Amino acid sequence: MDCPHIPKIGYGEFGKRLREKIADKRLPLAGSFELTFRCNLRCVHCYLGDARHGSPEKEELSYPEICDLLDQIVEEGCLWFLLTGGEPLLRPDFLDVYTYAKRKGLLITLFTNGTLITREIADYLQEWRPFKVEISLYGGTKETYEKVTGVPGSYERCLRGIELLLERDLPLRLKTMALTSNKHEILAMKEYAKGLGVSFRFDPMVNAGLDGAGEPANFRLTPEEVLELDRADHERAGGIRDFCQRALRPASKLDYAYVCGAGVRHFHIDPYGMLSVCIISRSRSYDLRRGSFHEGWQEFLPEVRYQRASDDYRCNQCELISLCGQCPGWAQLEHGDQETRVEFLCRVAHLRAEAFGSDSLGA
Amino acid sequence: MSFSEEIYRHHDSIVSRRIEDEVILVPIRQNVADLESIYTLSEVGARIWEQIDGRRTNAEILPLIVGEFEVSEEEAQKDLKGFLQQLSAIGAITEV
Repeated sequence: MDCPHIPKIGYGEFGKRLREKIADKRLPLAGSFELTFRCNLRCVHCYLGDARHGSPEKEELSYPEICDLLDQIVEEGCLWFLLTGGEPLLRPDFLDVYTYAKRKGLLITLFTNGTLITREIADYLQEWRPFKVEISLYGGTKETYEKVTGVPGSYERCLRGIELLLERDLPLRLKTMALTSNKHEILAMKEYAKGLGVSFRFDPMVNAGLDGAGEPANFRLTPEEVLELDRADHERAGGIRDFCQRALRPASKLDYAYVCGAGVRHFHIDPYGMLSVCIISRSRSYDLRRGSFHEGWQEFLPEVRYQRASDDYRCNQCELISLCGQCPGWAQLEHGDQETRVEFLCRVAHLRAEAFGSDSLGA
Repeated sequence: MSFSEEIYRHHDSIVSRRIEDEVILVPIRQNVADLESIYTLSEVGARIWEQIDGRRTNAEILPLIVGEFEVSEEEAQKDLKGFLQQLSAIGAITEV
């Protein structure tokens, strides 16, 4: 029912209203948290590299430490919260963490590979409904999926996880990274999702490993293949066209190295309690075991977020910067330097602007 | 029991949050309200919500509304009654 005293509002609409209200003010409305780096799959393109095996020297945040952090995060104004990994369901206390976050009034999105979802977990999620669940589907066939994940039997387990969630009418979305190994099955995955009645998206922007390893990049599509995929899907092409035309701007130098919402509306926390502006950009992070979230958000992250670009940094003078994925985080992972251009991103941005952005470029 | 003597408490399947002057009720558990939406509270609504604590009677909450929002007692009672009915309807409160 809709009450005159208690207006009901959709989450999207409320988010828009809130963002308009807070305007330029920094507020940690959305956060992401890697519960663990450990994973039961061995995906070829994974940016975590050896961290997936866990670390003998470092201890993941304990349940009491996480609860304390969630209290602080909520106090500071967070509403949308992503639980991810590694594979978050590998933590034996996953449901405890999840429930605590729910009880704090956080709107939880869960990223999972789906292979560890049991009937019990699905029942629990039905009772304590998440805001969203996203499962990564690495291929449209068993052969391709397991070529990416490296684990026999994982394809069936993933499909079973999807089935368990859908039987309970949970808010599921499917997605994939578009890779050299699965590009030929992107359409098949989309059709599969369509058949299930759930949305599907794919992302071809594979970044380098967190430890600087270049292996994930070996599975990147070429910029031309990225454009080909954009064009092959009418719906996607329309979305990218809109995005390109909104994002193009007259060439002028921007003051800051970052041009996105990282550290302004968003934050990220890793399994060991390190706070950073986003999931990609972690070279400067703040240890939440030694300080509070308030200090980290109010004092440390602004230093990172508002660092000035050097005079000879060319990318933030480019009219394509807002549609390009170039950022200090990507550059650091790719080149060990925050301002070196990532050729892959640059080429994709130029191809997309040529293909989709001509209306605005001439304006 | 008369309306004045009634006592309510928050239902544990719905959580209130205050973010930048917006007070919202977030349903967190199945069988409560509509999980696809949240509810926003007006300033008066938010103030009443804070007073619903499983101990105060409606008679104790009423003067706060009259005092803080400069309305007549009759008007305050009508508003409180309507608001409590609506909170009950979305599963946000239960009578103690």
